[in-house]
Amino acid sequence: MNGTFTPALPAKTGTRWVLRRFAQHRLALVSAAIIICLAASAVAAPLIEAALGIDADAVDLFNRYGPPSAAHPLGTDELGRDVLIRLLYGGQVSLFVGLTATIAGALIGTCIGLMSGYIGGRTDAVIMRITDGVIALPVLPLLIVLAAIDLNKLGLPEGIVGSENASLYRIVAIVALVGWTTVARLVRATTLALKARPFVEAARAQGAGPIRIMARHILPNLASPIIVATTLAVGNVILLESVLSFLGLGIQPPIPSWGNLLTGAQETIWQAPGLAFYPGMLIFVTVVAFNFVGDGLQDALDPRARNRQSERV
Amino acid sequence: MIVFLIRRSVQSLIVLLVMSFVIYGLIGLMPGDPVDLMISADPDITSQDAARLRTLYGLDQPLWSRYVHWFGSALSGDFGYSRLYAQPVWDAIIPALSNTLILLISSLALALAIALPAGVFAATRPYSLSDYGINLAAFAGISMPPFWLGILLILLFSVVLGWLPAGGTAAASGSEGFWNHVKFLILPIASLTIAGIGGHTRYMRASMIETLRQDYIRTARAKGLSEPRVVLRHALRNAMIPVVTVIALDLGVLFSGALITETVFAYPGMGKLIYDAIMGNDYNLALVTLLLATALTLIGNLLADVAYAALDPRISYTKDAG
Amino acid sequence: MTRTLRRCLKMAALCTLGLMLSASPALAKDLVIGITQYPSTFHPNIDSMLAKSYVHGLTRRPITVTDADWTLQCMLCTSLPSLENGGPVLEKTPDGKDGIAVTYTLHPDAVWGDGVPVSVDDVIFTWEVGKHPQSGVASAEGYRRILDIDRIDDKTFTLHVDRRTFDYNDISSLNLLPAHIERDKFKDPTTYRTQTAFDTAPTTPGLYMGPYVMTKAETGSFMVFEKNPRWWGKAPAFDKITVRVIENTATLEANLLSGSIDMIAGELGLNVDQALAFEQRHGDRFHVQFNPGLIYEHIDLMLDNPILADRRVRQALMYALDRKVISERLFGGKQPVADTGVNPLDWVYADDVPRYPRDLKKAADLLDAAGWTRRGKDVRTNAAGAPLRFTLMTTAGNRTRELVQQVLQSQWKAAGIDVRINNEPARVFFGETVTKRKFEAMAMFAWISAPESVPRTTLHSDEIPTEANNWSGQNYTGYKNPDLDKILETIELELDRSKRKEMWRALQHIYATELPALPLYFRANAFIMPPWLAGIRPTGHQYPTTLWVEDWTVKK
Repeated sequence: MNGTFTPALPAKTGTRWVLRRFAQHRLALVSAAIIICLAASAVAAPLIEAALGIDADAVDLFNRYGPPSAAHPLGTDELGRDVLIRLLYGGQVSLFVGLTATIAGALIGTCIGLMSGYIGGRTDAVIMRITDGVIALPVLPLLIVLAAIDLNKLGLPEGIVGSENASLYRIVAIVALVGWTTVARLVRATTLALKARPFVEAARAQGAGPIRIMARHILPNLASPIIVATTLAVGNVILLESVLSFLGLGIQPPIPSWGNLLTGAQETIWQAPGLAFYPGMLIFVTVVAFNFVGDGLQDALDPRARNRQSERV
Repeated sequence: MIVFLIRRSVQSLIVLLVMSFVIYGLIGLMPGDPVDLMISADPDITSQDAARLRTLYGLDQPLWSRYVHWFGSALSGDFGYSRLYAQPVWDAIIPALSNTLILLISSLALALAIALPAGVFAATRPYSLSDYGINLAAFAGISMPPFWLGILLILLFSVVLGWLPAGGTAAASGSEGFWNHVKFLILPIASLTIAGIGGHTRYMRASMIETLRQDYIRTARAKGLSEPRVVLRHALRNAMIPVVTVIALDLGVLFSGALITETVFAYPGMGKLIYDAIMGNDYNLALVTLLLATALTLIGNLLADVAYAALDPRISYTKDAG
Repeated sequence: MTRTLRRCLKMAALCTLGLMLSASPALAKDLVIGITQYPSTFHPNIDSMLAKSYVHGLTRRPITVTDADWTLQCMLCTSLPSLENGGPVLEKTPDGKDGIAVTYTLHPDAVWGDGVPVSVDDVIFTWEVGKHPQSGVASAEGYRRILDIDRIDDKTFTLHVDRRTFDYNDISSLNLLPAHIERDKFKDPTTYRTQTAFDTAPTTPGLYMGPYVMTKAETGSFMVFEKNPRWWGKAPAFDKITVRVIENTATLEANLLSGSIDMIAGELGLNVDQALAFEQRHGDRFHVQFNPGLIYEHIDLMLDNPILADRRVRQALMYALDRKVISERLFGGKQPVADTGVNPLDWVYADDVPRYPRDLKKAADLLDAAGWTRRGKDVRTNAAGAPLRFTLMTTAGNRTRELVQQVLQSQWKAAGIDVRINNEPARVFFGETVTKRKFEAMAMFAWISAPESVPRTTLHSDEIPTEANNWSGQNYTGYKNPDLDKILETIELELDRSKRKEMWRALQHIYATELPALPLYFRANAFIMPPWLAGIRPTGHQYPTTLWVEDWTVKK
């Protein structure tokens, strides 16, 4: 129940305290370590590629489904490419999509939720009805429409439109466009509560404008619920990308993502089960890890949980 | 309460009406028309044929005029004809809908039957080993790519062990009878259940922990009531409120969310129908199925509000409490 | 209502479940076939779909058919009319053009599943439906060409056709409709396509005249066929055939391995690469048969693109590819390299067409000559410094194409050609990008062909889709060549086989030299059958194996 707590203190005061609380959540700590390791090795993919002396895109039809060897630690895939390097690059893409899409969604959601909650009244009602509409909106046709829009007409630079990354940007855009609703509702609810608090009243009495109040007094207090919701959402987006890949609407080859690696491998699951096992396992572990980190953060940032802790001690 | 219900129902109807237009527009915005798809499957169709077919299907009319025409017929109870299945749309929807409902209701029931006790159990022992275990299992279920889970289940139970059929329906195998139906449903239901348990467990746990912190629980404890009695008699009812709300809100999502499971298990249900209708450019079918999903979401919203109001006597003042 | 009740019971059972039953073994006299697509309509003449022809093969018979040896045969008629045996009469049409009159006699014993004889009434009714502009029949050209039908007696009729084409005696696509059932439904032609008994009551026996009748159909899931008691031909071996639809090929394989289905149809089953892998693992339990077919995989080139307008560039693209390696390593040699759209199995195939084995030197020379030079291992550039770069598009989610695409990309890279992949869902790709010629350089897809089928719609300059002609026609590359146009216009009307073969040769030479599209390979079908099943003869063309289902037998 993300929306049921409100932070009592300005966020800055307890950073160290929060970290310590977070560290007490063992699974969250381990999860954070796993995510950092995965992210680091994904970022280091080009270095590892160079170290192993492999070209990730080099197709070798004479070495398909190769077993693990010194040259290819996890073997080779259906086109004779190195599985390990493909997984690392896939991790880059999946993590990138997960992070950027949720952050973009969180930004949109925060702006909308802040506006709705702070201004209130008719604006609030209209925005919330639109939010309901977006939640009820069928994602699938939206996705196909987006896949069909001629990006050139939108005035985007040729470098983005013509590039192989086009499918990647599309996924990020679509997830952000439908994913902001959770954060928007959360932020609105919290803003409504904060608006009535004495320190906001005081600021208003001193003549601060609405923008200043929102930026200075309300936004900092929103940080923890947003961080928690965003962390929990990253895993969902990674999962969503794999589902979209299954439907043929995800990241397009030759760009590897864990989702399309897994989808591609399902047809050969009987012949080369490893190809399906690794990306499936990586998605699984990553999503679990993000969930635990989110969980840990929630506990660590929740002031009432904190009170309870001190109470116990 | 009744006034509230009526007002919300009218609001929902209006939203549905607007959505029907938005969805029609969305489908219209999608590239290509049914005739294009026919041509790509049949090189013998001449340009003359294509033009004739477009007129026949009314595709030469502008979108708004097609919508008005559809809407007029819909008002008189004719929701159109599914080109993809060569049936009136409801004839295509009803069998799929009943298939999906069997799947969804049983997996939801099963998931709740496991998730709610597990959530309560975990909540009563926060940060214990068993709490960690339950959390881990809950997250594991949520975190599996659904098609991967389905394939793994088939691999194990159908191919390796040979216990259960690898997909389809009992009718397809020609074997009727109660147990045969169950046999075909076990794997898809298991896969939906595994995916569903986690979320409900987490909600139940969070909500119970929250409730157990309330003053009246402390009072009950102080009175010397036994812990199980406190949890089951006093806390459970209040802890259920947000859980019920979340379940109601999820109704619409569940509906189209079974797509992956249905595809993997070759199960003819709604998710698959919606997907095929959109991909196959079947305007009428896509529109009606999507509206149905939207309606379900709206009904879910309404139910959530009703449940909230009915279960929580404090509803009127909670707003100021935060 | 009882169904609802039963479903409720099913639900109740789930709450008390705990018992697992093992799959029951299939009865010996039944056959369960797995395919990947469900027919969108059972009406034989409204749109064309592989799944429909497959199941209609069990239940219906065309008048004529091309058999597994690629020769035209009678199925519902008694003998095939031909100019050699003096059957057809050359005549003038009322407006003075060269026409032809062909006479057929229907099999005297042929009856519909309800006992009503198949007669000339059905032929005439089918023609009336086919040529009616509002009946919803997709491909009406064949019906429009028939000027009149003479009724000689109940079983004999003469067709008057408005032109003399070389396939004058082939009426395989004239799929008979039962007039005694359908005439009522056709009273209002505008509602015919929604009222036809084929879709409102598809299990009516009178709709079928093959060895089987359909007794049950559940949309999107399965169809059941049982022996037609009125069938006049050779009795089939199986009492009941169930065709199950499983789209996901991994699930399809699992169903086969777990015994839920007996075989996977080659026409609508696994890809060749999947089937090869399957054969490796389970070759001892199943019989896997590969059969090259007429599906032509190729890359359409956008000839409006100034770089691709240069023939040297197109030829260099071909020389840079090693299609033989792709065919051998990816498809186990089962999918032969294509030289043009004409299959080597077709009698009109010219074996002296220009071929493009991999030759990086030739590719480099051609590109140098075209002004695309290379420094070291970089991408080639022209004098203005622009890179030699193309976008290759295909249908997203088609696994085999995606694999081939990545190999092509890597092979072109070695020749200094930078190819970027950008795929779209089939809906968008065929609905917009290809049909409205919006692809910038390369579009990879397949043409489904028939033996000796003239590629007029894909190569004639009149068939280039434009805004003005409402995007009709399938010459997506925009290829224009007056010589080729002339061949395409006259080849169909040339009745002399040797002259026609010469014209086909010229056509293939132009195609292989000019390369409006890059030929890749011909797709093969993979039939996966249990060892006890015999008699299935893959055809390789559009007529499915089920048309000869009475020859399928159970081995002892």
